Parts: sequence; C-alpha cells; structure tokens
Amino acid sequence: MKYNLELVKNKRKIIGFSTFLILLSLLGILYSTFNTSYKKPINLGMDFIGGNELRIERACEEECSKLSPDSVLENLREISKDKNVLNNIKLQFQNNNKIISIRTPYLSIEESNNLITNLDNIIGPLNYESKDSRLIGPKLGKRLLTNCVTSLLVSLFAISLYITIRFDKKYALYALFALFHDLFIVFGIFSWLGFILSVEVNSLFAVSLLTIAGYSVNDTVVIFDRIRENLKSKKDESYNETIQLSVNESFRRTTFTSITTLIPLLTIILFGSYSLFWFSLSLSLGIIVGSYSSILLAPSLLLKD
Amino acid sequence: MKRRQGWLFFIIFLLTLSIYLLINYPLQLGLDLQGGSQLTLQIIKEEGKVTKDELDSVNSVIDRRVNNLGVSESNLQTLGGDQLILELPGEQNPLAASRVLGKTALLEFRTQKEGTSADLKTLQYQRLNIKELIETYSSSEKSQFDDNFIKIIQDDLKEIEKELNYSSASSDLYVKLIEIKRYIDNKIANLFINTDLSGKDLINAGRRQEQTNSNWEVLLTFSNSGGEKFAEITKSIAGTNQLLAIILDGESISEASVGSQFATTGITGGSATISGNFSAENARELEVQLKGGSLPLPIEIVETNTIGALLGSKNILKSLYAAVSGLIFVGIFMIFNYRILGFVSVLSLVLYGFFNLALYSLIPVTLTLPGISGLILSIGMAVDANILIFERIREELYSGNTLTRSIDSGFQRANSSIVDGHITTLLSCFVLFLLGTNFVKGFAATLGIGVLISLFTSLNCSKTILRFFTTYQSLRQKNLYLPRNNFSN
Repeated sequence: MKYNLELVKNKRKIIGFSTFLILLSLLGILYSTFNTSYKKPINLGMDFIGGNELRIERACEEECSKLSPDSVLENLREISKDKNVLNNIKLQFQNNNKIISIRTPYLSIEESNNLITNLDNIIGPLNYESKDSRLIGPKLGKRLLTNCVTSLLVSLFAISLYITIRFDKKYALYALFALFHDLFIVFGIFSWLGFILSVEVNSLFAVSLLTIAGYSVNDTVVIFDRIRENLKSKKDESYNETIQLSVNESFRRTTFTSITTLIPLLTIILFGSYSLFWFSLSLSLGIIVGSYSSILLAPSLLLKD
Repeated sequence: MKRRQGWLFFIIFLLTLSIYLLINYPLQLGLDLQGGSQLTLQIIKEEGKVTKDELDSVNSVIDRRVNNLGVSESNLQTLGGDQLILELPGEQNPLAASRVLGKTALLEFRTQKEGTSADLKTLQYQRLNIKELIETYSSSEKSQFDDNFIKIIQDDLKEIEKELNYSSASSDLYVKLIEIKRYIDNKIANLFINTDLSGKDLINAGRRQEQTNSNWEVLLTFSNSGGEKFAEITKSIAGTNQLLAIILDGESISEASVGSQFATTGITGGSATISGNFSAENARELEVQLKGGSLPLPIEIVETNTIGALLGSKNILKSLYAAVSGLIFVGIFMIFNYRILGFVSVLSLVLYGFFNLALYSLIPVTLTLPGISGLILSIGMAVDANILIFERIREELYSGNTLTRSIDSGFQRANSSIVDGHITTLLSCFVLFLLGTNFVKGFAATLGIGVLISLFTSLNCSKTILRFFTTYQSLRQKNLYLPRNNFSN
C-alpha cells in the first residue's frame, strides 16, 4: 500500500482551497462582528460575559407533558415579585420536554433560588438531584476572557519560539503558518455556528484551541522531520520529488494518528456529558483541519515553482 | 536480552504498585462528578494588590465562618492571589453559605452625639414604617398582588422618600424598600460617635429566643479588656439621654439606653445582648459572622456552580462509557492495522491507563469532567507515539531488515519526532496550568501527566513487551507484523 499524493501537480488547488477556507472564516468573523446582536467576532458564552445558566430535569412519571416556553415565561412573570430577573430570559425544553434549560443575566444565589422555586410551582415537580446551575458575575467573566486570551498568546509564543530554535527559519515559518491557518479556520467555523445555531464559546473552547495548536504543530513537525531526513539521504532525487516522497511516506502515520485521536473524541461526543459536546467537536474539527494542513498545505508551501 | 528482562520485572512491579495504590487510595472526584456546590469569592480592594497577609486573614475568617455554619467536608483554597474557592460537596444549598460569607461583619459600638435626640426619633419612626412595608410586601401571597396593593406600598414609600429627601434609583419595588431601609440605618449610625470597642474585643457570640416574644437576640461575650471598655462606655452615658448603638457594616442594628443605676460602675460582667427583632435565621447568621470575626477586606461571590448528585453520578457513567469505548475502538483499529504490534500497543495502553490513574490518586489530582476529557484525549497522543514507531518498524521490515534490527532502529528513529510532539503539547499544558481557571487546570493536569507517562509507556513499555514477545520463535514470523497482502510489496 504505497500512497501517491501528487503534491507538485496540485499545489495550486491546495493553496486555493486553503485560501477559500480562510476567506470563508474571515467572512464569518466579519459578519459576526458587524451584523449580529452581540457585535463580537465570536458568540461569547457566559464564562466570558457573566450570567446564570440553569438545567434541571422534570420529575415526570412517564412522558413529560408538552409545554410552550412562552406560556411558562408568562406564568413566571405573573408569579415573580422581582420583575427585573425576567428581562432577557431564555427558556428551552429539551429531551422530550424533560429538561428545562434557562439562561438569564447574572442573578444572586437568592434570586436564582427564587426562580427555581417559582419554576417548580409552575411546571413542577422538579428533580433537584439533576440540577446543574452556574452563576458567573460579569467581573469574573471579563477576567476569564483576558486570562484565556493571554494563555493563548503566551503558549503560541512559546511554541513559535520552540519551533524557531528547533528548525531553520523557512520551516519554522511554514509550520507556524499552518498552525495559524488551523486555529483561524476553527475559530471561523465557530463564528458561523455562533450566529446560525447560537452556539456560544466558553473557556473550554479556548482550551481546545490551545490543544489544537500543540497537535497541529506536532503533526507538521513529524512531516518536516521526514523531509529534512530525506533531503540529506536522497541526494539523487530532485527537491520537489523528495518533499512529495516524504509526505507520502508519513501519510499513513498522520492519518492513523488523527483517526486514533478522533475515535476517543467521537466517543465523548456520542456518550459523554453534554457539557463536553462542543469542546470535543471543536477539537475534532481542529484535528481534521490540522491533518489536512500538515499533509497537504505545509509541504506544498515548501515546494519550489 | 538480560537488560530488557529487568525492565519487564520493573514494569510488572509498577503495575502491581498502581493497582495497590488505586485500591487503597481511591480517586478524588470533583464536584461535577459527585454533586455539590462551588463558590468563587473575589476579594475587593480598590487600590493596589491584595497582599499575602490580607489573603491569609480573609482565608482564615472565611474558614471559621464556614466551620461555624456546620457544613461538613467543605474545602477552601486560594486561587491566583485574590480569589478563594469554596467547595461544598453533596446536597448542600449554597444559599446559607453565601449569606454568611458575603458580609464584612464589622461590628462597632458607638455612643450618641449630643443634641441629636430629635433627629434620631424621626429616623427611628421612619425605619419602623419601612420595616412594616417590607414585612407586608414579603409576607403577602401572590393572590393579593394586585395593582391596588402595590400602589398603596408605593405611595407610602414615596412619602418616606420625600421626608428623607432621598430616593432609590432601582425600578424594582422590593429592592427600593431594602435600599431605603439601609439608607435610614446608615443615617442613624452617623448620629453616633465611634468608641474603641469593636468586634475585635469579642471572644464569643451566641443566640437565644427572647422571653417576651418569639424574636431572637444575639449574645456577645467580651474579652477581659473588652469587658472593661464596655463598662467604661456604658458608665459614660448611663442616665443621660444618649444612646448606645451597635453598628454592623456601617448600619445601626440596635440602639439602647443605659439606665442610671449603671452610672457608677457601668455595665459589668463582660457581656451584652443585641435585640433587634431578629428572626431565628438572621440571629444565626449574625452569630456565625461575629464568631468568625470581621473580614479585613470585603468580598464578593463572583461564581457559583451547583451540580445535583444524580447528575454527578450520571456524568461518571457517561465518561466511563466514553473512555472505555474509546479505548476498545482504538484497540480494534490498532490490531487491525498492525497485528501483533497493535496488540503490543493495546497492552501498553492498558498500562498507560493504570499508571495515569495511580498517579492521580498519588499526587492527588481531583478528577473532573474536563480532566477526564484530558485523559481521553491523551490516549490519542499515547497511541500516536506507538504509530510513529510501528510505521518505522514496517519500513525497516519492507526494506528487508531482520525483525530485531527493524524493531531497534524503529524505536531509535522515531525518537526525535515523539519527543518533539510531546514537548509542544507539554508547553500548552504548562501555560494552561499557570494561567487557567480551576476548571481548565484539571484538563491541563491530566493531559500533561498523560503526555509524560506516554513518553515512558510508548518508548519503554512497548519496547519491553515487544522484546519479550520476540523471544518466542512462533511470534517471530514477519507476517505477524505486516498484512499478508502487502508482504510481497
């Protein structure tokens, strides 16, 4: 089973495809910044802007009765003494009306407890053992955001530094280009998801970007290592051919590694807790884009015309 | 061959040790896996940084308050220089804790300024009115909540606001009422002059029900010097029309006169009671706060996470499914593609899993959901090292090398790529661990530990197991290492 990817022939197509992906991501980011209600490059979740998130199961005997969010909200308004709590409230039913999920701006613990009690009166009984509630103050949110952005920048810097010391300039530059390409595209995809499906990004998204960074660089380094090794040992073949050969030689390794990393991620998506769903998805996307850029994009950039 | 046998025994020893550790030191589960509440407390300081001393003293005050609350197995730790994290495992409502923790609880004793009696009377009267309004409002049922009822309260409130020449900016009626009451309490406090007696002079606090009605009162016990100060202060105002006020966080909670019988000695005995119409709950909160002492800096609860116990156990089960099925599928993939080599990698993955978990219980690492995802993800990275080596071994075999030579040079030549890959991932983990929040730290810790262990299992354990296998003649046929249809290639 020898692989024969024709890098030299397809160089234009590969670079064209990547340019297309980057432009598409840019479009999503720009649209998100200027044309959405939140006016941010990406839909920031409550980790970063603060708020109250509540998920709780209804204790139904068999099937849970169907309820419309609007009527529940109306009842809540009637029953609540503190009307301010109910501005900007979002209420959803999931899993055949079994799970109620609510988002509001920041509440104190007391206000949040009142909200749950009122909810219990309207659509109860609720199963308190299944409660998942998070309250994050806006101040902490801002701090988390700065924290995440700093960690991303610092670790990107550290990785860049390592690569520059480890390889000579040209290789380092392309490896880093592939890295930023991967991160930008994953970011872009989540920008799109933000205004299409109102998917929000939380601190775990920043973690996934960091992990993707480590992974993407690792993949590219393995291929570049092989290219360097072959350029030294196979002096009789042309430069471009050696690169193509090296990529084909490491093709199995890169795809296999991606597959063995994707398998556990898919099992988390399928069987794991809902709170890890988007995290695993963004990691999976990053690994797919990362393998593409290390196998096809980064080596293509090394080719001479 | 001798040397490798030594490694084999070492690995078996490590495995036994890991299993022993896991049985005797069970894993610590985070709140998202066992249920409970987690509160993040932010120390508020207007200027400058929170110093180590300030952090420590806030920490000990909070610790005392939590203990006095009677919360079992709570865990308090500092985070990043100006935050504290309080964990309350199990089915405990964070509400009670939040009420007690948030207040500074600075207790002061003040004597009335001369010539303020008339002002005080007016304010006390207004406070009585507002208290009644609050009571009517909060005790009323939803059914009575018609517009007419609201209007009466609003009108009364407006009256008081007019007298005070102060109005609340809030749009919510209840918030308004509370704010006006605070304003009055604060104004009352300002009619009094501070003395040198404060919460620091207390050695104990308690509570009891008043004999005449169902209200509660809080008992204060002073230290020796505090008792003397209290006697001195009461002596100075005994029999005059000046009152003694007890001020908590800048608001007067009680004003009392001192009878003329105390004019010679003051109130001795080193104790006092505060009776300010406390409910049982309020009295208990004040007791806990006073016992714990006042906070040197105010704090704010900036984050609360609550997870039900049922959800926690569901999360464990789900993670277990994900991890086990992930391992099985990866194992199948590896054996399918690499045959006996794949089997070796499955064995070293199992070792990898045990070593990881054993280290978690040894360090200890508290296992959380992000932590588990870090572990599951690191499985992928551990396999990656194996794949790099096996690909090299295959290449060597294809080019006609002997099995032993292929294995040796496969491990050797894959070395640098493996180390590189692990270092870049470790860099990310390190940064995440330094800068990340509590939540993120769990992920960084398990991924980082995983990457380190994977260096050992993939470079050493795989090699040892493989060497052990190849000592058997029957396991040395090349077609066990390469798919048959490719062998002629």
